[in-house]
Amino acid sequence: MESSELTRFEGAVLPHLDAAYTLARYLTRNASDAEDVVQDACMRALKYFDGFRGEEETSARAWLLAIVRNTAYSWRRRHRADALATEFDEGQHSHAVADDQPDGDLLRRAAQETLGRALEQLAPEFREVIVLRELQGLSYKEISDVAGVPVGTVMSRLSRARARLKEALT
Amino acid sequence: MTHPSFEAQLDAYVDGELAAVDARELEAHVAQCAECTRFRDGRLALRAAITARVPAFQAPDALRERVRVALKTAARARAPYRLSLRAVWRPLALAASLAVVALGSWNLALQRAAGETLADQVLAGHIRSLMPGHLTDVVSSDQHTVKPWFNGKLDFSPPVHDFAAQGYPLLGGRLDYVDGRAVAVLAYGRRQHLINVFLWPATRGPRGAPTTRDRQGYHLLHWTTTDHAYWVVSDLGPAELRDFARLVQQADSAAAVPLYR
Repeated sequence: MESSELTRFEGAVLPHLDAAYTLARYLTRNASDAEDVVQDACMRALKYFDGFRGEEETSARAWLLAIVRNTAYSWRRRHRADALATEFDEGQHSHAVADDQPDGDLLRRAAQETLGRALEQLAPEFREVIVLRELQGLSYKEISDVAGVPVGTVMSRLSRARARLKEALT
Repeated sequence: MTHPSFEAQLDAYVDGELAAVDARELEAHVAQCAECTRFRDGRLALRAAITARVPAFQAPDALRERVRVALKTAARARAPYRLSLRAVWRPLALAASLAVVALGSWNLALQRAAGETLADQVLAGHIRSLMPGHLTDVVSSDQHTVKPWFNGKLDFSPPVHDFAAQGYPLLGGRLDYVDGRAVAVLAYGRRQHLINVFLWPATRGPRGAPTTRDRQGYHLLHWTTTDHAYWVVSDLGPAELRDFARLVQQADSAAAVPLYR
């Protein structure tokens, strides 16, 4: 890879490192796992950068976040087979979902508040739409690109996730 | 329309994601429906609560550095022609040396070959340092931490200066092995670039202005002071690297001749 190409890649990707880290942080619920996921994701992104060039409709941020998301999912499948197995179940009361992975520092403090805790207890596909929409302001279309699901699914997941969080607030 | 999907429509409306015509229609309905008004207000309150209580994170600096270094290393691994260039270079250098030797300039040839071998070793050390976890043995931007760290590890005490104020922050130090001896290496940053300064006690005394070499996309600067032989290597642009070298030289001579005391 030419160094100018690397510079172009860094220019496209590095500005979104905070967003990447935030998503990884909420998906892994762990600071050091999140760092590993982001680094892995950046390496993958470098590999697929040629493929990204043509797709002007996808923002660089959504493109990177999609890779971070996939990396986090496969990473978790590899390292903690059970961690993502918690399915979002309408009939299941949120407090019944064990916090199987207590986390350090910031996330723990946030989780001590009911809202943060409720978010942590959402299944990842519901947690991620909240993070992408509310913390990072992605459009439904961008979220659909990141999560690899139709916009209609984004809509319904977002609505169900909010309904669950709303319960935690009241 | 089932209830959940109607709620999803309301959510999309609150998110500003509905087509204008649908949004107007829904807005008209919400205006006269107490239940929908309550729902919308509840969603707005939830959004405010999330904004207030659920943090977005900043990527730690250490992560940024890790990613940057890993990218550089990976990008280099994708450029195998650089390695082959290196393989081609050796016989060429030998041929060049032989040509000079044929002209009878024994001494010059030997010096030159020695310089090129050193440049090779320094460059290899630089590239090695870019691999994850190899940049620094002591991580500190504080020259008063880095300098004592070398005590007992080297048979000389290298001058260590931080140039953060000039835009070249000290990242740390490490040991390397060049020219058959242990040498000090100081790592500096410049935006996305890394600069390694190799130095060890001089054997032949000061010799003129820095010499420059370009290898595999890296720039090398070499000079010798009364006390030390210096090699500076980086992928930074040559002009900035010369500026950096000047800072090192000035700091070194200021330390050797304490003008301001």
